[in-house]
Amino acid sequence: MAVLSFDNVTVQYPVYNSRSMSLRNQLVRISTGGRIESEAGHIQIVTALNQVSFDLHDGDAVALIGHNGAGKSTLLRTMAGVYHPVSGTVVRDGKVATVLELGAGMDPELSGYENIIRMGILMGLSMSEIRGKTAEIEEFTQLGNFLQLPVRTYSSGMATRLMFAVATSTQPDILLVDEIFGTGDAEFQIKAKERMESLIKSVGIFVFASHNNELIRQYCNRFFKLEHGQLTEMVLPAI
Amino acid sequence: MSLPLKKQPGLADIMQSLHCFRIVAFMAVSDVRARYKRSVLGPLWMTLGTAGGSAGLGFIWSELLRVDAATFVPTLTAGLILWQFIAGVISEATVLFSRQAPIIRNLNLPLAIHPMQLLLRHLINFAHNAPVFFIVALILGLPMNANVWLALPGLFLMALNLLWLALLIGLLGARFRDLEYLVAMVMPLLMFISPVFYRPNYLPFSEHIMWFNPFSHLIEIVRSPLLGNPPPVFVVETNLAMLACGWLVTLYLFNSKRNRIAFWV
Repeated sequence: MAVLSFDNVTVQYPVYNSRSMSLRNQLVRISTGGRIESEAGHIQIVTALNQVSFDLHDGDAVALIGHNGAGKSTLLRTMAGVYHPVSGTVVRDGKVATVLELGAGMDPELSGYENIIRMGILMGLSMSEIRGKTAEIEEFTQLGNFLQLPVRTYSSGMATRLMFAVATSTQPDILLVDEIFGTGDAEFQIKAKERMESLIKSVGIFVFASHNNELIRQYCNRFFKLEHGQLTEMVLPAI
Repeated sequence: MSLPLKKQPGLADIMQSLHCFRIVAFMAVSDVRARYKRSVLGPLWMTLGTAGGSAGLGFIWSELLRVDAATFVPTLTAGLILWQFIAGVISEATVLFSRQAPIIRNLNLPLAIHPMQLLLRHLINFAHNAPVFFIVALILGLPMNANVWLALPGLFLMALNLLWLALLIGLLGARFRDLEYLVAMVMPLLMFISPVFYRPNYLPFSEHIMWFNPFSHLIEIVRSPLLGNPPPVFVVETNLAMLACGWLVTLYLFNSKRNRIAFWV
């Protein structure tokens, strides 16, 4: 039974320019008693999510829509527990898997097989679980003997196949996906879509950030629109 | 997660990290493997490098300082090996979190696994270097006694001290990017005011200055036993005091800033 609920969640993050990232300016700030604070500070606070509330339960498949920079990725990362809100509460119950930026933990010097284990371990799989999934990853990626070669020798399409296959090899309760379709060749895109569909069917809660209206309509049953960090739920056809 | 821990994100993070030890151990070994992937001797190059360095430096310096090579070379070897360990952890700690940004930004894993992984990786390197000391000691006929075993608890204490240092420096380095260069500048200086190249008692004047360098204490607590003497009491006391104060400060900062790190990297 997966649950994901946000209650008045606000996420803000500081954007530092090179000046405020530097220790010298912090020291100058202290020593000058804040006189040139406007010069030395330059920390801008971005409110990425503003008092966002919703409740998600098993069976909810949510589409996140909004312009670039509307806060979709921030919302996904907050859902995943990577970002923490400055106020409000997040309740998360269930195993979470993310397909955000692919390839976390991949090392180009190591072989495909070794990287499958590395990425799998980081995703919280046990050694025997990874061994059990290796055959299926081999089959999906169709990289054959290339899996024995270092990942640095792969083309970017091949690396994407591997990263995508590993990222989608878990059985989570909550699946968070950032727009990732549209990479790789046509054949891979079809296979990736099939794999994604079967994964979506198996999870309790599915959240998907996308600009592709067709996919959204196909997979999702709830629609959240983000604008300047404000979240509104919409009824379907308005998109 | 119980309620009191929720209010202490740093503490909770460290508890979770301990549960993730399997991940830490695997990633540390895997990193070492990746580093030496295409070399024939692999990490043994480190061993050879240390052996070459201490042989060369040892005999020249023992001439220059007019001390007996048989006592000086083992001192220097142990000092160099320990310094490599310390300096490796400290300098890499400055970019600890920013280098792991893809993992931090995409997976909900505790953050203290990164300093643990760094420390473990350098402990593996250290294990490759340590035999050099014993070979040197054997060749030069350094008398070994039961005090050598005291090096193990000493190493343990030193590792725990390096762990908070790595976490603290990593945290500050994620926020202040100058720290990387600052540490790179300061470390060679600290090496010269630490007992790497000489025994503390070779320096009648500057001995006091040297004991202001915390790394001197970290080195001495392992090196004294290796050379057959129990570590001086004040060295043990400093190590314990550093451990307590260091962890307190680090935990305080980590508690208040842990949840900001993902935005910084």
